[in-house]
Amino acid sequence: MIDNLGAYLSRRNFLALGASLAGAAAFAPRPAFAAAAAKPASLNMLYATSEADSDAIKAALPDFKAAFGFDVNLETMPYNALQQKVFAELASSSPYYDAMIVDTPWMPALTNKIEPITDMTLDSELSGDLDIKDFIAKVFFDTAVFKRDASNQHFPATDTVDPAAIKAAGFEIFGLPIQANVLTLAYRKDLFDDPAHQQAYKAKTGKDLAPPADWDEFAAVAAYFTDPSKRRWGTTLMAGAGDWATDDFKTLLAGFGGDGHMIDDKFETVFDSPEGVAALTYYADLIDTRKVTPPGTTSASWDNVATSFADGLTAMSMNYHDLSLIPTVKGSVAYAEIPRGKSVGPHFGTWMLSVNSFSKNKEWAYRAIKWFTSAATQTKALAHQLHPTRASVYAAAAADPALSAKFGNFYDVLGKSLAVGVGRPRLTNYGDVDRAIWVAVNNVARGAAKPEDALKKAAGEVRELLKQAGYKAI
Amino acid sequence: MRSLASIVARLVLWASAAAVLFPILWVVLTAFKPAEISQALPPVWDFQPTLDNFRNVLVGATYTSQSFGVLIVHSFVVTFASTLLGLLVAVPAAYALARLRFRGKHGAASWVLSTIMFPPVVSVIPVFIIASRLGLTDTWPVLVVPYAAFGLPMMIWMLRSSIKQIPFEIEEAAMMDGCSRSEILRHIVLPLLTPGVVSASLLGGMMSWNEFLFALTLTRSAVKTAPVGISEFTNMYGTQWGSLTAAATVTVAPILVITVILRRRVVEGLTFGAVK
Amino acid sequence: MTAHGATGELKAPARGLRLSRDAALGWLLMSPALLLLATMAIAPAIYLVYVSFRHENLLGPGSAYVGLQNYARVLSDAGAWSDALSTLQFVVLSVAIEMALGLGLALLLNRRLPETNLLTALFILPLGVAPVVSALVFRVLLDPAYGWIDYYLQSWGLIAEPIDWLGNPVTAWVAVIGLDVWQWTPFVTLILLAALSGVPSEPKEAAILDGAGPLALFWHITLPFLRPFLAIAAVLRVIEAFKTFGSIFVLTGGGPGASTEVVNLTLYRIALQDFDIGAAAALGLVFLAFLSIITSQLVKALGRNTDILED
Repeated sequence: MIDNLGAYLSRRNFLALGASLAGAAAFAPRPAFAAAAAKPASLNMLYATSEADSDAIKAALPDFKAAFGFDVNLETMPYNALQQKVFAELASSSPYYDAMIVDTPWMPALTNKIEPITDMTLDSELSGDLDIKDFIAKVFFDTAVFKRDASNQHFPATDTVDPAAIKAAGFEIFGLPIQANVLTLAYRKDLFDDPAHQQAYKAKTGKDLAPPADWDEFAAVAAYFTDPSKRRWGTTLMAGAGDWATDDFKTLLAGFGGDGHMIDDKFETVFDSPEGVAALTYYADLIDTRKVTPPGTTSASWDNVATSFADGLTAMSMNYHDLSLIPTVKGSVAYAEIPRGKSVGPHFGTWMLSVNSFSKNKEWAYRAIKWFTSAATQTKALAHQLHPTRASVYAAAAADPALSAKFGNFYDVLGKSLAVGVGRPRLTNYGDVDRAIWVAVNNVARGAAKPEDALKKAAGEVRELLKQAGYKAI
Repeated sequence: MRSLASIVARLVLWASAAAVLFPILWVVLTAFKPAEISQALPPVWDFQPTLDNFRNVLVGATYTSQSFGVLIVHSFVVTFASTLLGLLVAVPAAYALARLRFRGKHGAASWVLSTIMFPPVVSVIPVFIIASRLGLTDTWPVLVVPYAAFGLPMMIWMLRSSIKQIPFEIEEAAMMDGCSRSEILRHIVLPLLTPGVVSASLLGGMMSWNEFLFALTLTRSAVKTAPVGISEFTNMYGTQWGSLTAAATVTVAPILVITVILRRRVVEGLTFGAVK
Repeated sequence: MTAHGATGELKAPARGLRLSRDAALGWLLMSPALLLLATMAIAPAIYLVYVSFRHENLLGPGSAYVGLQNYARVLSDAGAWSDALSTLQFVVLSVAIEMALGLGLALLLNRRLPETNLLTALFILPLGVAPVVSALVFRVLLDPAYGWIDYYLQSWGLIAEPIDWLGNPVTAWVAVIGLDVWQWTPFVTLILLAALSGVPSEPKEAAILDGAGPLALFWHITLPFLRPFLAIAAVLRVIEAFKTFGSIFVLTGGGPGASTEVVNLTLYRIALQDFDIGAAAALGLVFLAFLSIITSQLVKALGRNTDILED
């Protein structure tokens, strides 16, 4: 019996020792970074083109050199090529690019190849000047916070970014956001301010002419301005076969009270709901029945609508960046938040800078992306139309008269819209899901299908796709 | 009667040329327009031609990462090397297929043709991974070898059929005179093969010049070619028409020049006076 | 003295000895080409066949053997067969038009007129424009709101309303096929020009002396010499047309709806956006099988003496 007691006591001691070790480990100092890492001769960074405002980054390169003493070799590529390149480089475990720009929908597939920087953000020496709480929380959580082995899960958003809380919940930070895009409404200020138009509109509808506050007003204003004989239409819409059509649809879906994510956390399709049908019916109505959009809308994408608005063909346009008019169109542009229906949820998506897991200069790459996304760099980049991701930069933008002169109230509207933006569902095969939905939207927009049928068909395809990707409805 | 047919033929040719060239004329015209009015409607015809777009593109003032002039040079090197490699390798193979008889010839020929039947959008991934493991990414061979391989089936068939067009009596006569096969190949067949060689080179060269997918995936900056560079002028937010058309003009111009120079060689008739 | 046929093959009885020497020489001459092609084809092929039976995640864990699942998925996909039909339709129409126009153009350009050097170069030019650029240019020219084509057609009173070219399936197909014809007719022309240069003049002169008209001349003298090259152009164009991706991607993106979705667009999405290399390999191999069958049937249909693969 004494032997058994002895064994029992040893086991207890062993367990106690184990418990205290574990406890000590919880309070152990975090790994020290960077002081040991040697400065690299240069860093290679892969970036987008004007989608993420490469002009601003290019302009910042000399400042970077002055601050760090070495160069960043910047390579820029447009969206599709960039996505291919990022995926190919990461798939082959290439260490060539130290830092890469990543768009939000790519992250679910990449969580095993992008370096989590949560520990680096918690390191006081490395991140003393990070000021992570300055990042717009909603944008940060949607873009940069993922669970490595369950990349479809969302971190429950809070008001500020707290890396320790993120880590405690089993999530990681995978980059720092740099360019925040959200759908905003642009309109021809000169047309809206014109007394003749104001009187005529009031006479026609009994309301004042102003940027529409809800979707009914939107339709009314668009109808008022539509006059094909003068080559002018109310608004643009991106109803062509492509990702942009899905984005238009999910925005309206949110506006009509549905879930703008289209697929919920239980992997059920929620876009074929009555709200979805109502949204799509409204969309098709604008294009086919009231015809308030220019010809070619059902094959239009981002650049078509930007050109249409720039050429003075429409009074309003919804897009993801600031717009300008060609010199022969004498007018001015102002911005407003998109109309609100039962709810509001403009589509948003943000680019972030990340560290390549295979890079040989991870700490310096982190320092670099920290610098590029810092308040100082972003404030300077405002002049090149960067869409900031930090609250302080929006405040700086509001206080800068030169910016207002150049871009009107764009930054003000951008900041407000980001606060209510709705992102995409987190799926590794979002590309395929996206396509099933845009085919439905495009077919309905050109009158080739009824909203209810098209959405039902798309929902069936999406459920099949989710199954193929291994997402089981819980 | 002959001259009437001639006149009609010339009219038809020039009219079709104008129609066919319309998009290219549009590109060149837009390249010389100030960028802001390139999309204006009604089209602006009365404008001050400017070289700004060309300057931006060639000197690299646009938001792209490298100056386009450098990329054109890369394209020249890659195209020239891959076309040359293709020809060096295709001529003997074409001769073998045209004149010799051996077992397995049909199988080899079918296999050669089948190598271009697999979609590049899928084969690019394993090629990239293998090239990556071998450390060949962004080097000259990583583009030159695939491009030569892509053009090889076309070159071999063109040259094979061209060789078959040469009456065998000529070679026979030379063989009777005691020339070896390789001498025949070099001194008799090759000169008569010029139209076929030139056509095959032009076609293979143009395919290499415009290839995009492999260039995008397998290069970074050291060997990046013009098509990849041009694609940077168009993106989600729109297209930089001034820069894009300037870059496209710069890319197409060498082809025009080379085709004009080489055209005579393409259509030169074979003279069989050698036999007599 | 050995007896040779018109194209150089040997007749018996000298065959036996000559054949083995021919074999050695033949393989020797072919070896550089075979080697070059092998470096590009063998390793990727082995990898792709291997991976087509797996769910291969190149970006993380979770790769596993899945047997025929990839094949089942691509063959049972609802859209797959309509995509295949669209692809077939595209290939048949484009190549047929290209062959006809290419032949006509080559015949016209074969004359020794003072400007034919320049004209030939001009007609070849569309081939020299990168497909993605051509597609972009076509797209902007065809835009109903601000494109030149609809603008001028309207100004000249030829149409009342701007045509939404890319907005309905019929005109979208016209645009897609039109773009392909514009871009690739020069390919056919160039091959046939080289062919025409090899047409010997003696038979022609003899026939003219006999009183043959231009049509008879073409049919009985020129065409037989052209047939091998027509076959090359047709087979190569068919193979390339099946692989068309970039121009359709930029011009329509598979739209309107899914009406211009060709198989290569689907392959691009699976391979380079989803990065599901297993499924892409399976679909690619099925594609390869179909294309091989179609090509061999085409070659057979083009008849004897077209000399693609046969003696």
